[in-house]
Amino acid sequence: MITFATLCVLGLLWGGVYLLMAEGLNLIYGVMKVVNLAHGDFIVLGGLLAFSLFERGGLTPIAAFPIAAGLLFLIGMAVQLGVLEQITAQGPEGELRTLLATFGLSYVVANASFLLWGSQFQSIPFLQGAVQAGPIAVPEGLLVCSLLAFGVALLVHVWLTRTITGKSVHATAQSALGAASCGLNIRRIRTLAFALGSAMAGGAGALVISLIPFQTSTGGDLTVQAFTLIALGGLGNYPGAWLAAELLGLTEVFTQYYLGSNAASAVVYVVFIGVLIFRPQGLLGRVGRV
Amino acid sequence: MLQGLQRRSIARAARLVAVAAGALATALAAAPGASATEPIKVGLAITQTGPYSPPAVYELQGYELAVEEINQAGGLLGRPVTLVKYDDQGNPSTAVQLYQKLITDDDVDLLLSPYQTDLTSAVAPVVNRARRVMPCLAANIEAFGGKYPYLIQAMTQTSRYMVPVVDLAAQKGYKTLSLLVQNTQFPQQLAEGVEKEAAAKGIKVVFKESYANTTTDFSALVLKAAESHPDIIVGATYLADSEGIMRAARAQNIDAKMFAFSIGPVEPEFDKALGDAADAVFGTTLYFPTLHTKGNPAFVKAFADKFGRQPTYHAALAYASFKVLAGAVAKVGSLDQTKIRDALLQTSEDTVAGHFQVDKTGIQIGYNSYALQWQGGKQQLVWPEGAATATPIIPHPAWK
Repeated sequence: MITFATLCVLGLLWGGVYLLMAEGLNLIYGVMKVVNLAHGDFIVLGGLLAFSLFERGGLTPIAAFPIAAGLLFLIGMAVQLGVLEQITAQGPEGELRTLLATFGLSYVVANASFLLWGSQFQSIPFLQGAVQAGPIAVPEGLLVCSLLAFGVALLVHVWLTRTITGKSVHATAQSALGAASCGLNIRRIRTLAFALGSAMAGGAGALVISLIPFQTSTGGDLTVQAFTLIALGGLGNYPGAWLAAELLGLTEVFTQYYLGSNAASAVVYVVFIGVLIFRPQGLLGRVGRV
Repeated sequence: MLQGLQRRSIARAARLVAVAAGALATALAAAPGASATEPIKVGLAITQTGPYSPPAVYELQGYELAVEEINQAGGLLGRPVTLVKYDDQGNPSTAVQLYQKLITDDDVDLLLSPYQTDLTSAVAPVVNRARRVMPCLAANIEAFGGKYPYLIQAMTQTSRYMVPVVDLAAQKGYKTLSLLVQNTQFPQQLAEGVEKEAAAKGIKVVFKESYANTTTDFSALVLKAAESHPDIIVGATYLADSEGIMRAARAQNIDAKMFAFSIGPVEPEFDKALGDAADAVFGTTLYFPTLHTKGNPAFVKAFADKFGRQPTYHAALAYASFKVLAGAVAKVGSLDQTKIRDALLQTSEDTVAGHFQVDKTGIQIGYNSYALQWQGGKQQLVWPEGAATATPIIPHPAWK
């Protein structure tokens, strides 16, 4: 029973970590229908930046969080204005070119990180202990990351649905043409969305590097993981992504315990395929949105 | 008139013949001299760039230092030695092409191995087909043992990596062990070695499970591994997974008398990543700068002077591997590859990395390994006792 409860806690918390790493991608996809293939590399960049701030300046990941997020915000802005806005093609051709551009970008970011930090795995010792909740030891680091992930998810959801800026971002997501004809500056909105999404990746990296060691080539795996999660949740859908994250976290922890670790890495994708067969739009996605 | 002309041309022809003969004689006389100064070309491809390059660059530097020292001492067979080196970028197919090029285009006289078991396995057929001898820095034994008779293992074999750790545990009277194994080639072979050694020492493996190399969350696995309350938790790991396992143990207050990993604690990043949680964790190394092996202090000093850093086990093994190869060439007195191979099979020699000796199929049986432990942010060699720089902290202190 205690084991079962512990596994539930661990699964839910790891779900939070996965959510934290996928939120930026979800926002960018939701608004722009762009799959940012450099997303994982942005996470790694944010993480390695936090690593250097810790090593050189003794800054904790919490303190590095706004710095990494801020830097990635600027990088995201530069990428949107300098690269993605320059792609004028519309429809499938435009999507393909954007995808290729972010694919190229992932190499640029990963190799720039390689030149700066080398190729070794890096990580930060931070909040490594456990909070004892009765008989269950709750890992501190996981707890903080998860709470932050839920906080950010909630904030973004409220922002998108309750504020004027958020609503205009939402409107642009639904129809760029319609939004533009209502007088919205869609170029600015897209830039804001991409920069925010990048900032969320950078911030996530700064925290997650204290849980998972990052190497400059880790980015690709993180992109796939984040994409799996948002596709499962219904691309661009926030409550859906949260649900998907918890589902993946719990699936992984329980499979690891009951079926073995080798099975765990496969079962996650089996669940993914299963959901997509029965709900191709994702758990909470609406038909026709994708 | 005609006769005069004839006479003159005959005389001229004679002079020409004389000059030609003289030139030929000089050329012939000079020929052996030219080959005496013509360098012996030693070829290799190694990972100089890319994610897998850091240990490989240590190996390259080890090779370079050995070449430099041999040249300073008058070369090999009276000829200077030059390195012909390429970058395989960690890619096996690139490595194969480069070794093909080294053998055919460059026609090098001797070969040295790339970094890592996978790349060595990739180039092994090419090298062996060309009947070129190659001392290999590869710990797994697939490429040796008669499969590729021209390959000689110049590194401790994988299954022996954790022998000192198991030995230390047995000395302390520990009886049970949980084994976590990354499901890739090297850790699996290593785990077999741990099981064999544990059985020999009367330690029971109470839990064994493997995991994918992409695993990042080890919480459930570590929880399960600890359920039988083993005395020792051993990971057949690389760096990232060893950190993941330690982090999961720390975050769930999981205690054991010993935590030990194959690769992981040997890297300085292990301590940087885990801080306090790295303390008292055991690791494995094949070399340590403080070892009392033959010529080690001079090697450590020369390496630090030349490259500005302490040698790692990769550097020491590479250095020793070329020194041993050069010794075999000197003994044979020629570059006859089969004779050099036979000489290497007979070699029993002390090097900076320990005693080099292979069995009759080329598997390394001389080189050992050592247990190290992180103590207060520093790596200490703790076992075997004779080579130790500190006494082991054991059992592992309980988490606060």
